[in-house]
Amino acid sequence: MGQIVLGVGDYGASNTPGDDVKTFALGSCVSVIFLDPKTRTVGMAHVALPDSSINKAKAGEKPGYFADTAIPALLAQMTKFGCDKRGKGMVVKLCGGANVMDTNDTFQIGKRNALAIKKILWSFGMGAVAEDLGKNYSRTVSISVSAGQITLSSPGKPNWQL
Amino acid sequence: MVKQISQEELQEIVKSVPMLSPSASQLLQVTSRADHDLVDVINLVRNDAKLTARVLKIVNSAAFGLINNITSIDRAISYLGERIIVGIAVGDSAGKLFEKELSGYESAGGDLWKHDLRTAIAAREVVTQSGVDVSPELAFTAGLLHDIGKSLISDYLQGSVADAVEMITTDEDLDYLDAEEKLVGFDHTRAGYELAKAWQLPDELAEVILHHHEPANASEEYRTLVYAVHLGDNIAMMGGFGTGSDSMRYKLDQQYTDYIKIGPKTLATIMLNVDIEFEKLEGSINGPGEKN
Repeated sequence: MGQIVLGVGDYGASNTPGDDVKTFALGSCVSVIFLDPKTRTVGMAHVALPDSSINKAKAGEKPGYFADTAIPALLAQMTKFGCDKRGKGMVVKLCGGANVMDTNDTFQIGKRNALAIKKILWSFGMGAVAEDLGKNYSRTVSISVSAGQITLSSPGKPNWQL
Repeated sequence: MVKQISQEELQEIVKSVPMLSPSASQLLQVTSRADHDLVDVINLVRNDAKLTARVLKIVNSAAFGLINNITSIDRAISYLGERIIVGIAVGDSAGKLFEKELSGYESAGGDLWKHDLRTAIAAREVVTQSGVDVSPELAFTAGLLHDIGKSLISDYLQGSVADAVEMITTDEDLDYLDAEEKLVGFDHTRAGYELAKAWQLPDELAEVILHHHEPANASEEYRTLVYAVHLGDNIAMMGGFGTGSDSMRYKLDQQYTDYIKIGPKTLATIMLNVDIEFEKLEGSINGPGEKN
């Protein structure tokens, strides 16, 4: 039984029963989760920013960092586990993307991340069936590969499922 | 149920905190003066054998990937830059405060130091990217110290996290600062300010500590600096480096646009630079974690 911990800009997948795929303290970052029922594979990317055009070198080195490079990278990773390369049959869920209390648009990076991710998913013919996005608290996410179950936690709140 | 801290108790808490080392204290004084020179920093470090050894060890650590070892303290300081020197001195001197587990915020040991380091880097980035007339090095130092009050009140907030979160979820006008004040009588900015006075920190640093959540209340003279740290603090939390239960649960002062101009794209660049710089610094000047 292993734990695959993904840091900012990381992505990864597992089909080993008993594994947990986990990421800590999502602030404005968004966790993109792919669940493939056919191969029982769980994948996740920890996306920090919407658009890789600000730093192509970073995108090359850490594609999971930007929404536009993270989705293709995660899909490619999933195909190593026998998943469809266009993501057919996969269940997509999103969480994170919190925003600080702000009425000014500049600091709404969480919102921009979520929007960018949805746009790119759409271009692949995919869409999220469940999401827990926005608000103003950080989230830790843990996915059990055996059950495909997503558990979220945040200090001061009881854990919840997505 | 948590209990209120009286003014006398707060003074007792502050008194129980060890003083900064003389060199850390002098470095903070000297580097916050606008007319100081790197030579002043070099002279201070040179007089502290332990600090000199630490600086040399860090500059030659794997994180900086130098091919040839640096053996002269002058060169080491020029290479690292004064913000890293201040970071090392403060981290070594007040390591226990930064490294402490903040159980009152359900935050692990070391989280505060990481948050402070991220805030320091972000505040410096905000200053350089926006081009405001504030010393980037001073913004870094101020960022490092801004949340020091949390380690003073954390023990008293133990067991209060669910109540604090409930309080600010039911009343949207409240943020975590209000919750702290209602629960123990002081918020972390007030507690930090008392320590700043005891440590005789320069005024600009004390102002940052006191007003970093409400920069509009800072004196005009230091207000842009305080806004830079205010934004840096929020950027650190957005990047996933808060201190537990209070992360992202503060108001962003909307007046920042009157002092600091940054757009969405600049902010994205700042966030990315913070990640890159943090990765480089974390393993090296992480003073509290590793000693000697």
